[in-house]
Amino acid sequence: MISAVQDYEAIKTAVETAANEHGEPHWFVERRLAAIDAMQDLQLPEMQRYDFHRWPLMDNLELNFRRSDKSLADDLPDADGRIRFVQVGQTTVAVNLPDELADQGVILTDIFSAFREHPRLTEKYFMDKVTKYNENKLTAYQQAFLNSGVFLYVPKNVVIKQPIEAYLIQDSTVKQAMVSHVLIIAEEGSQFSFIQHLNTKGVVENAAHCMVEVLSRANSHVHFSSVDELGEHTYSVLHRRANLSRNARFDWAVGIVNAQNTLGDITSELVGEGAHSESKVIAVTTGKQSNGINNRVVNRGKHTTANISQRGVLLEKSELIFNGIGDIIHGASGANAEQENRVLMMSDQAHGDANPILLIDENDVIAGHAASVGQVDQNQLYYLMSRGIDKELAQRLVIRGFLGPVLEEIPLPEVRQEMIDVIERKLEDGQHFN
Amino acid sequence: MATLEVKDLHVEIKEEKEQTREILKGVNLTMNTGEIHAIMGPNGTGKSTLSQTIMGNSAYHVTQGDILLNGESILDMPVDERARKGLFLAMQYPAEIQGVTNAEFLRAAINARRPEDDQISVMDFLKELDKNLALLDMSEEMTERYLNEGFSGGEKKRNEILQLLMIKPSFALLDEIDSGLDIDALQVVSKGVNSMRGDNFGSLIITHYQRLLNYIVPDVVHVMMDGRIVKSGDADLAKKLENEGYAGLRDELGLDVSLVDDNR
Repeated sequence: MISAVQDYEAIKTAVETAANEHGEPHWFVERRLAAIDAMQDLQLPEMQRYDFHRWPLMDNLELNFRRSDKSLADDLPDADGRIRFVQVGQTTVAVNLPDELADQGVILTDIFSAFREHPRLTEKYFMDKVTKYNENKLTAYQQAFLNSGVFLYVPKNVVIKQPIEAYLIQDSTVKQAMVSHVLIIAEEGSQFSFIQHLNTKGVVENAAHCMVEVLSRANSHVHFSSVDELGEHTYSVLHRRANLSRNARFDWAVGIVNAQNTLGDITSELVGEGAHSESKVIAVTTGKQSNGINNRVVNRGKHTTANISQRGVLLEKSELIFNGIGDIIHGASGANAEQENRVLMMSDQAHGDANPILLIDENDVIAGHAASVGQVDQNQLYYLMSRGIDKELAQRLVIRGFLGPVLEEIPLPEVRQEMIDVIERKLEDGQHFN
Repeated sequence: MATLEVKDLHVEIKEEKEQTREILKGVNLTMNTGEIHAIMGPNGTGKSTLSQTIMGNSAYHVTQGDILLNGESILDMPVDERARKGLFLAMQYPAEIQGVTNAEFLRAAINARRPEDDQISVMDFLKELDKNLALLDMSEEMTERYLNEGFSGGEKKRNEILQLLMIKPSFALLDEIDSGLDIDALQVVSKGVNSMRGDNFGSLIITHYQRLLNYIVPDVVHVMMDGRIVKSGDADLAKKLENEGYAGLRDELGLDVSLVDDNR
């Protein structure tokens, strides 16, 4: 924490020096310094029915740039034919973007190159249009200490069939917070899907601040999915924000399968008339870990549709809180907001909750919610076991069925399988301790 | 040869308000592989309870008697262990499980009864699967769908028989496998069961109607009323029942049993 004025001036000087040595444009260095100033007065955000304020999230107040060992990415699946960006720590390992997409103006590059080479796109949109840096202490930290990330720009009416993947691998072989940013600009009428993979290599205790900002312009159609698999020594804050213009369609399919405490914030702002967002999240918690997940949709424009679906599975002594927040702003007539939050308790020592929170300031809307905290369906379990399948496997199969609605959303079969495998491993670990 | 014995079986279920009700009141039954037995009887007489109790559904509590598979009591065994020992129950209402494909489930079920170091190869599995799909007139697409999810009543029944053919148990309990089937589907399902007939397979078929038994001709027919087997005989017994109804048999035996549908 920043306690004394001298400390804070010293931090600013150190950050400025590091950023300049890193060759960052002047505008961005200025923003870092403004964010450090803002951190002084800003508070951590409050989350309903959840307290994360004592987690070690902002111990690291240094900006360091170092080269990571590229071989930490050696175990990734083959790239052949896939469009992808791979980064280990702050080191970009690979950018596979087909020439024909580059020729159409698609940009896929690391975030700092984007600041230098595409200032017109990044200066205007980085932590300004979708998320304000001074929203709270965490967002200010994000801007002040940003040290990695990726930028994707898809021009007007460009349609990309193959999903674009970003592997962002935290390098925890050293003490260094991961402060990573994914900035996506989907221009009018563009269509594509994006898959984020978050992993950790190494066992040093570090924080991970991963932010995603998506600007979905009019009539664009974007699908975002993620496989979050951060390590057991990583406390993480995952901000994912989208801003939708007129008739834009933007969907989240987020799988949070981290091994340590995670604060999840998924927000869709439906600004333009007729925008539509489906926000689906699954989470699996084991051991003593605690996940608090806010899934928020804001209907601002008329005739906007924003649905939330969240499903979680708890094992051992873990905690998982799902807040589904449906915020309908005055004037958003004809808005539609449905939500469903369900958690499955696999252990009587776990603590789970599913809270629908509807904030409606408009009369002409359709809004509804369903929430449940329950056990595995005994009929399903009995059926599988009556075929000779043992109880643990039967439970995992039933759980997979429970998580199915999100798994199905992942556009690449390989990645869907990867997510299933990650979940199965985690469930197996959790079952062994029960 | 394998043997399944039910000895003086008494079973009760819990009803609302912690009340218990005895459903089976002393059932005795012995069957060997190589035999097909049918159990007929009016509604509410305990036929499904018998099959669910043999399989090990925890909703049914055995208060007296025993169930033996090859001389060994299975009462303390969980459901999955009973299944691995050779029992199979084709259910009246199969569960739907999203996210798990039919094919994946079938492989898991087959592998569950094989040692870890001898799991079925993909080639062998597909060969067996194709053969059985053809026999049951099912499309390959059915195996890539999620387990029973969105299946019609008839598709679910066929899928139960597909599992039977793939898993190859010693004893199959078929609980009203004919309900809701049209004649064509009934023939297909019967063909599947008949293809299993042989020295290493026995089946206990539960049905209301004689019709199924025209297609799967039983060696022994049992009639159940009020939680007991009241009469056993050969296939002709089923035909006689079809003609005279359960009330006729009840009166012939002088039983004091009220039939659920008596007042129609």
